[in-house]
Amino acid sequence: MKFKTFFLQRVLAWALTILIGVTFIFFIPRMFPSDPVENMIAQMQSRSGNMPPEEMEALRRSLRVQFGLEGSLVEQYFSFLWKGLLHFDFGPSLGSYPEPVNNIIGRNLPYTLGLSLTSTLIAWIIGNIVGLIAGFRPKARSSKIMESIAICIYPVPYFLIALILQIVFAYALGWFPIQTTLNTLGTTWQFIGSLLKASILPGLSLLLVGMGWQIISMKSLANTTADEDFVQFARYRGISEGKIGVSYVFRNCILTQITALAMSLGGVFGGSIMTEIIFGYPGVGSLVQNAILQSDYNMILGCITISIVAISTATLIVDLVYPFIDPRIRYG
Amino acid sequence: MKKFWKVSSLRLKAGLIITAIFVIIGFVVYYIPHINPFTFNTYEPKLGASAEHWLGTTSMGQDVVWLLIDAIHNSLLIGLIVALIGTVVGVLVGLLAGFAGGVLDRILMIITDTFVVIPQLPILILMTSLMKGSSTVIVMALVLAMFAWAWPSRQIRSMALTIKERDFIQVAKFSGEGTLQIVVTEILPYAFTWSLSNFMNAVLSAIGSESSLAVLGLSPGNLVSLGNMIQWARNYNAIFNKQYLWIGAPIVATVILFIGLFMLITGYNDYLNMKRGR
Amino acid sequence: MRKRTLALLLALAMLLTFALSGCGGNETSSTASGGDTSTSTPADTGDETSDTETSEPATSETTEGGTPKAGDAMTQVNTPRAETLIVETQTPTDTPGQFNSYMMGTTMGMGIHQLMSAHMWEMDSVKGEQFPEVAADMGTPNEDYTQWTVKIREGIKWSDGEDLNADDVVFTFNMIKENEGIGASAATNLYIESVEKVDDYTVQFNMTESFPRLTMRYGISVWGCDYRIVPEHIYSTLDDVTTYKDENPVVAGPYTVSAYDPNGEWILYQLREDWWQSTLGVVGSDYYGFTEDQAPAKYVWFRVAGDSSTKQMLMTTNEFDVLCEVTMEEFEAMNETNPNVKCWWPEFPYAYLDDPGAKSIVFSHGQGEPYNNADFRWGMTLALNYDELTMGIFQGAGRAAPIPLLNHTEYLTDKYVIPMEDWLLDFELDLGDGTTFKPYDNTVASRIAEKVGLSDLSDEEKIDMFGAGWWKHDTEAATKLLEKAGLEKKDDGWYFNGELFTPEIVYLADTEQQAGRTIQMAYNQWQSFGIMGNLTTKSQAVWDADGGTGNWYIAGYWPSGGITTDLYSALSGFDNQLIKPLGEKGSGQGCRWDNQQASDDLHKLANLDPESEEAYDVTVDLLQTAVTDMPYINVTSGTKFVPTNCTYWEGYPDSENPYNGPWWWWSCFKYMLPNITPVME
Repeated sequence: MKFKTFFLQRVLAWALTILIGVTFIFFIPRMFPSDPVENMIAQMQSRSGNMPPEEMEALRRSLRVQFGLEGSLVEQYFSFLWKGLLHFDFGPSLGSYPEPVNNIIGRNLPYTLGLSLTSTLIAWIIGNIVGLIAGFRPKARSSKIMESIAICIYPVPYFLIALILQIVFAYALGWFPIQTTLNTLGTTWQFIGSLLKASILPGLSLLLVGMGWQIISMKSLANTTADEDFVQFARYRGISEGKIGVSYVFRNCILTQITALAMSLGGVFGGSIMTEIIFGYPGVGSLVQNAILQSDYNMILGCITISIVAISTATLIVDLVYPFIDPRIRYG
Repeated sequence: MKKFWKVSSLRLKAGLIITAIFVIIGFVVYYIPHINPFTFNTYEPKLGASAEHWLGTTSMGQDVVWLLIDAIHNSLLIGLIVALIGTVVGVLVGLLAGFAGGVLDRILMIITDTFVVIPQLPILILMTSLMKGSSTVIVMALVLAMFAWAWPSRQIRSMALTIKERDFIQVAKFSGEGTLQIVVTEILPYAFTWSLSNFMNAVLSAIGSESSLAVLGLSPGNLVSLGNMIQWARNYNAIFNKQYLWIGAPIVATVILFIGLFMLITGYNDYLNMKRGR
Repeated sequence: MRKRTLALLLALAMLLTFALSGCGGNETSSTASGGDTSTSTPADTGDETSDTETSEPATSETTEGGTPKAGDAMTQVNTPRAETLIVETQTPTDTPGQFNSYMMGTTMGMGIHQLMSAHMWEMDSVKGEQFPEVAADMGTPNEDYTQWTVKIREGIKWSDGEDLNADDVVFTFNMIKENEGIGASAATNLYIESVEKVDDYTVQFNMTESFPRLTMRYGISVWGCDYRIVPEHIYSTLDDVTTYKDENPVVAGPYTVSAYDPNGEWILYQLREDWWQSTLGVVGSDYYGFTEDQAPAKYVWFRVAGDSSTKQMLMTTNEFDVLCEVTMEEFEAMNETNPNVKCWWPEFPYAYLDDPGAKSIVFSHGQGEPYNNADFRWGMTLALNYDELTMGIFQGAGRAAPIPLLNHTEYLTDKYVIPMEDWLLDFELDLGDGTTFKPYDNTVASRIAEKVGLSDLSDEEKIDMFGAGWWKHDTEAATKLLEKAGLEKKDDGWYFNGELFTPEIVYLADTEQQAGRTIQMAYNQWQSFGIMGNLTTKSQAVWDADGGTGNWYIAGYWPSGGITTDLYSALSGFDNQLIKPLGEKGSGQGCRWDNQQASDDLHKLANLDPESEEAYDVTVDLLQTAVTDMPYINVTSGTKFVPTNCTYWEGYPDSENPYNGPWWWWSCFKYMLPNITPVME
């Protein structure tokens, strides 16, 4: 019965985390001096010239009603909780009114997920393997070389890695398109082909930065664990080094690393902002950035709520699975 | 001291020297009286490297060397403040939650999790847009620190959960030591290695976050930092106009700073292990 | 150890050779790039059914500025490159497939209003005048301007073959009036009582009040306007015009949608076969004298170009023909890599100088003392060094803009600044200690010309390029004026009310280079003068709200208005009756300049025929009032680097052939297209 209590408590915590996070996201943009109505008016004015004063007042009033910004903040908040959190309906985008936020996110999400999830997973796997070897056998030349590469790539600012890849492989060599242009006119296979081709450089850039940290953190974990008594003891017992690496060191380190994975998977929303800007890759990251610049409340809420739910769910699952991976942990 | 130098590895020495050079540049050389390097048109713009301007001048007529020194100072300052707050708060919260357990653990973890699950960069973009007017080095650091503690505290907690069941802790518990005492005397040293590398990483990620914001044009306009320096050079198209010294200087400085810090940390860990082993 | 290093070096060298050969291979076999996919590239037939994708057609072309070999390269959207004009659109759209301009969220600038929309009156940006598009004349008002009769052009056909006539115009205006969901609806109801059909090609507008500026308000004066004529025979059958996406639009403009990206990154347009019956054919032949054999590009592809570095790479590899705005540094780098990338002037100053938006340093008068004090503002002006300002902004490129409120385009400089020169030279400031100072300096142009090595130009050319004059840099006079305004100079800077004076000086992050650099330069100059300001940035979102509420102190933006002779429409927001208390959103100018004389002038202008001599005199008086009171500091005219690439297409507007401004994002783009011709046969 202990597992049941643990399970219920953990799920309650999960729900509370989401609620607090979402509340935070709801109120922060509204503390801004900015206002989507004013953004829309400024945009219209910069395009079609100055509006006569009465006209501006009339427009301002009609936009407030249309954007659903009438009513008190508390009313807006509860209507958001009801619609947004429970039904995942975030209403119309205020930047591209009246297109529903859900449509826009739905169109972009698959790209972000496809690119970031794949590259994060690959980075995690390679990073952990390399890190494990480097940490477990720190004296080996190969592990030194791999570690040095990781150390040298990791601190380079992300946009620079992306830019170098773009300049070398797309501009100078012409192997990949400079800008992501998906072939939506041809057959499905051509579309997939152009998608893959356009995804290689962005994916590689994410892989490189992601891997660096995975190697470094796994290495230091493995290094510490390799000096532990139980590992030394295993050595005395004459267990082969390979087996020690996998069943003693790896099993002990992977726990921390799985938490890290769960969170970096959720972090794809924030992390993809720069990738999408540099490679012109479609996705949710640039949506968030544009939404902030246009104070598109509904879009900010939509993107970040999805992100919050995704990360908390991932960590929830990790927590529930913890005891099965590491028998030393008991429920509660 | 002499002995320490003698037994330490090459890596530790190199890390120590590099880090020391940066600290000297950032906190000693910085205080040599000099003209505010941000001022435009102090010198002829777009000069190459010379005896007078070791790294040339920018398109706005600023001396790259002094700009870089100011940038290192501010970036290190931001990094150190963020890392200090993040690591101290993170380790304390993590240990407390991991060891106290029960209601306290749950409350702390819900708060921590909230900060972990909220995607960082979008919120930083939001916050910096909000704080624009009053942004200084300190404000910038505090904003970044908001998120810096949550991740370590979660990591430390899961570490603590593992350690908690170990024999030496059980022994300490039986011998009647209080939770706080156990945390301080037994666990803290254990978490220290991890915290050190986390500290180093926090310095770096703070500098990195600041540069991401700068690259998005959101760092304060007159804050001379490594990120902003890269951004200014990018704004003036330094890469394609072949002003490599200008754009290269802050990037190379960032990379070397990290490598130095990293070698210091890993080298020090090796040194500790060696000492323990003896 | 040594062996290992050697091996590594060898591997590196091999990689490099491989890379280089890959590069060379691409250049020699420009058509066979991508190998596996280029099976059916011989597309000189222009057959758009070819279903293969040719990868990177453009990178495989020669990038050294030579003429591409053959016209058989294809774009990534399966059109022949030689028949496709590729135009940058600055932001992707969140509403792909939505082409109804009356549904909110439609991204008009993505070619929709440039190529498909039809407006009542269009803009000739060179003459600063409007000309009739769907309308056949500029409208005939009754005596008190409460009723306008407008003739409609005959001969324009919708892309489905129907005639465009008065029914469409009447329907469009009534549709706007009746549908509250259309943004312009409430505003339209304020001024238009009703729109009636007189006969098939005549429409009558009944206004709610005297309304002398019908064409300014309901036609185009800058970018575009909200009044786009829709086909009555389609829109009248709809239940709700504000939710109709219109995925296959029937248009009166010369192009229709051929394909679009479901992610909103691009739209491909195809020329109507009967383009001669579109607005471009009918109006263009009448106003610009186009002939039927001047058919414009068969395809126009609007696509997003990405961030700064991506944009430059795409342009230098000829994957784009025209870009919107770049910085001077970006332009120089592109021009050096690929000489086919050009700008308005063939050499310095390169940029187009007539953008409607002189960049200014603006004071928020609503913040009270000292910002609302003319002596303070004049003191701050004289503390600036124009030569350094303009050199720092775009290395000297940009026309000096001395007079506030005015945009200082070439046309407006000739019309107002030069005739006002005597007055400007005689204008005096009272320095408060019994002395006076004449601030105007008309030697700016020759000084800057000398600095940038163009001193052999004629005086007229210098003034055209660098402006008629600006204000002197005189720290002594500036000091006296600031002291008169109640500031006090101490060792560590200027003090106001006993405290160090540290005004917040703001510019917009990453949107406007010119205004941003102006502010950065001014901040620096003021600092060396002892004004210890705080330089900060605001994001566009924050500024859109703060700019209006006056929640700032000194900011860089562009409050001057309009490029037409008639300045009223653009400046009506300076009326002091519109000023609201600080912190409230008003409909007037955010800087809250409260000047009775200027407001009186504006009221007079409102009811004058814009073409009359009286209107001109009142405008001059308004500008003189502005100079005397210096509400904000105008620095340089709107200076835009708008690059074109003449590898595939030529005949873009430029300084030698200035038939229009470089406005790919304005609705008048369609009237440039017949001049832009393919390079290859």
